[in-house]
Amino acid sequence: MSDTLGVARPRLDAPEKVTGATRFAADGYVHGLLHARPVLATEPHARIRGFDTDATLAVPGVVAVLSAADLPLAGTGTDRTSEPLAREEVVFAGQPVALVVAETEAAAEDGAELLVVDYEPLEAVVDVEAAMEPGAALARTVEDSDDEGGDLESVHGQVDKGQEDDAGEQLSGNVLDRVTREQGDVAAAFAASDAVVEATFRTPWVYQAYIEPQVCTAWLEPSGTLVVSTSTQGSFVTRRELARAFDLPLDRVRVIAEPLGGAFGGKFALVEPLAVGAALALQRPVRLVLTRSEDFAATNPASAQVTHLKVAARADGTLTAIEARMIVDRGTNAGWGVEGATSLLVAGPYRWQAHDLRGYGVQTNRFTFGAYRAPGAPTAAFALESLLDELARELDLDPIELRLKNAVVEGDVGVSGNPFPTIGAVEVLERLREHPLWAQRNSLPDGEAVGMAAGHWPGAMEPASAVCRVDADGTMTVVTSVADMSGVNSGFAVIAAAAFGLPPEQVRVVTADTASAPYAGASGGSKVTYTVGPAVIRAAEAAREKLLAAAAQELEIAPGDLEVVDGVVRAVGAPDRSMTVQEVASKALRFGGRYEPIEGHGGSAQTSGAPSVAAHLSHVRVDRQTGEVTVLRHVIAQDVGRALNPALVEGQMRGGAVQGIGWALFEQLDHDEDGRLLTGSFLDYAIPTAERVPEIDTLIVEVPAPDGPFGAKGIGEAPVVGAPAAVANAVARAAGTRLYELPMTPPRVWQALRS
Amino acid sequence: MIPAETRYARASDLDHALELLAEPDSKAIAGGQSLIPVMKLRIARPSLVVDISRLDLRGVEERDGEVHVGPLTTWNELIGAEVLQRPPLAAVAECARGIGDLQVRNLGTIGGSVVHADPASDMPAVLLALGARLRLRSPEGERALAVSDALVGPFTTTLEPDELVTDIAIPMPPHGSGSAYASVEHPASGFALAGAAALATPDGESVAVTGVGLTPFVLSGDLSDAEIFGDRFAPAEYRRALARVVADRALSAARERAKVNR
Repeated sequence: MSDTLGVARPRLDAPEKVTGATRFAADGYVHGLLHARPVLATEPHARIRGFDTDATLAVPGVVAVLSAADLPLAGTGTDRTSEPLAREEVVFAGQPVALVVAETEAAAEDGAELLVVDYEPLEAVVDVEAAMEPGAALARTVEDSDDEGGDLESVHGQVDKGQEDDAGEQLSGNVLDRVTREQGDVAAAFAASDAVVEATFRTPWVYQAYIEPQVCTAWLEPSGTLVVSTSTQGSFVTRRELARAFDLPLDRVRVIAEPLGGAFGGKFALVEPLAVGAALALQRPVRLVLTRSEDFAATNPASAQVTHLKVAARADGTLTAIEARMIVDRGTNAGWGVEGATSLLVAGPYRWQAHDLRGYGVQTNRFTFGAYRAPGAPTAAFALESLLDELARELDLDPIELRLKNAVVEGDVGVSGNPFPTIGAVEVLERLREHPLWAQRNSLPDGEAVGMAAGHWPGAMEPASAVCRVDADGTMTVVTSVADMSGVNSGFAVIAAAAFGLPPEQVRVVTADTASAPYAGASGGSKVTYTVGPAVIRAAEAAREKLLAAAAQELEIAPGDLEVVDGVVRAVGAPDRSMTVQEVASKALRFGGRYEPIEGHGGSAQTSGAPSVAAHLSHVRVDRQTGEVTVLRHVIAQDVGRALNPALVEGQMRGGAVQGIGWALFEQLDHDEDGRLLTGSFLDYAIPTAERVPEIDTLIVEVPAPDGPFGAKGIGEAPVVGAPAAVANAVARAAGTRLYELPMTPPRVWQALRS
Repeated sequence: MIPAETRYARASDLDHALELLAEPDSKAIAGGQSLIPVMKLRIARPSLVVDISRLDLRGVEERDGEVHVGPLTTWNELIGAEVLQRPPLAAVAECARGIGDLQVRNLGTIGGSVVHADPASDMPAVLLALGARLRLRSPEGERALAVSDALVGPFTTTLEPDELVTDIAIPMPPHGSGSAYASVEHPASGFALAGAAALATPDGESVAVTGVGLTPFVLSGDLSDAEIFGDRFAPAEYRRALARVVADRALSAARERAKVNR
């Protein structure tokens, strides 16, 4: 076991991915396949008067033009799953309003171009703060009677809903949700503090920018079963959502989670209802592959946010009070938003004496809000960690020491009202402090600086199960329903190998579809390894019991006196009395065999969280003439519980840091004043490409999670959280002036330097 | 992302190309790095695409005090041309090195870039600073046209629809000259937010800028009076300041190269 866990190994899917052998959802051959092309709204807010379909239907090869009324929907709400095409009211520019379905992709595109949609424009709600004012125009005029889209919230993060709203506050109907958390006398705490800082921070809509655009293929089997082959983060959640939207029995829907070309929170039953609706309406297989521009315009990016934040400390650096008013632009998502998460996470992994934290979820005519790696956390950390640096500056304290002085430890009660479980905040900050870059920060050339920041993610939980099966050749197959996101399958392989006693190379992992897989929730919330991992351990242990029972009879040794090491069952203390796993398995798996198959099923239902903390150093250079910021070097330290496969862990740490650099410097979905998207392609929307990403040092900190598999915890989301703030703190030092809006583009930095 | 229906023909020689291009709404294609993207967006929908990529209009040659660049010469071929490494014309190779990525530089051509007339395209600024001239052919005959007279607006030139560029002639600056290109790129597109090419000769200096106006232009004065383009990402005020910075940077680098060339 010792040489199984903690060893850097390539991902199981790496050879196939690198050689192009992986078959993604857009690649499968389906006989008689039709191709759908969405027609996207050009108006941000309008009533649809009607369609002129004549020219479209005249295109050779076009089979049908489908609008909302043509899809066999159950009418369960106005969320994107229940209403994949705008029914009467367009609520954002880019919303799908019709599908053109044709025998070829080219015919579908020709037809889509010719479709005429007659809009009656309505007043667009674009400014999220103005949208909150009593009397503001509403972003959606049709009443939303029975919206169950909130179910999707359950797959992201473990976040409470806070206390009762402030009934006295006058707000417009665009404010869909208010979350309030109060404790202690905030005003008194501010008054008794030695330093008080406050500011307003703004962050834009940010696109998940997965490599593989959203795609889905759907068809009906002759038996009537609907089969959905798709790029999704969760097969069971997609099955549930499709069954709800189309009023189908669960057993009539089979969802196949194909290999995922990236998701980052964005792939949850968004395009599936379009392909499914068309396939059900036309009774033929239908594929929908979004183009990149469609994916930019029509999907569900991270919310824009406005955060008013005020924090204070005593002269010795003890944090006293925090007050936040956080406005989350949900766009058209009436089901859920991150106002609860962001107004919780804004307190950071720190102790406070008093807090008053408010979150507002506001609808506008921009996109549909969706999850993005650590939803609501990078925006919260950008505000908090910026102000912590300001406090450190005012009090002349070392920024890391300030944070260390206040970092939570197990048992400290957070702003949620619950005590923190085991958490490695102190360990991570101490490790970061030891990095040579921190010591070098005061001896850098003019225009360069190092900034630091921390961030955390609480993790999430959902019951899960797994199956382990040993074949006659002695190899093991682990079966789960988990979409293989961020390399979780490769993690299951070493978990199963360690728990069973096989070399990891002899374990493969299969993502089965909803017809046959054991249950697990969607890949999200940093919960897969933490919740499915223990199920894999128990499944492997159950299989091991079958192995030992059979081997005990063969070797005439009690099961309790046997051990399994590297694929060999042997007597403890007498290793020459042994059989290979293959020998035992082959005796079980044959006609007339006397032993049960070497298989096991295991489940888990975690009830304790395992938050992960990550802290960053970012070394930047600011060009004072042009405003350009170059990240020269970046360091990330993260508590991962236990690094089951350090290569994958470091990949998550680097990936999070890179996306955080994107938030900090490059990424913004920008609309014009009328609500039309200006940055709807990679010609306009910048991401941190390889040439802009510096060397990233990864410092793995291991504070074992008591209930995690071999001590591991979910690590996917924490690394993005503090990265934008670290870059912002570095820019503030290098430029001598702070920016309160992301991204810190050259024009904005230049403007800040001038004023 | 699928172009509208179009026909395709490959020209066997220059006369054949001109004959094919007589068709209204036809379009010449060489490297396709500008035309194909706009066709995929259906902004351009030519009835006929005339492939001129096999014509003998490629290469860099120094003769009679000029450097002649074939319009089909790719960015990578420019980067590799010896005469464009030397200080007087170093701006050309320097500029080409910063264009697109390797795939774009393997296919994209200098002639296609100039006639596409993207207002933020890099190379036209270099050709303006160096005083380059285009040689044009049409069924009616031949003519010469200064690059400064060819570029009149965004994606707009004074070329006739049936004219093809057959040569780009760059006067060889005198001994003791140097040239350079400097730019600040849009972080997504890589096009210049502001770019500047400079030529420093013993007789004088010239600077041309791109990315900041309706078309690249030769600088006269300090840009205070120039009409500068702005958008939500980079307001005009910023681009004006940036143009000054890159102009200074290009000019300093050109002067440094001129010293080496003495």
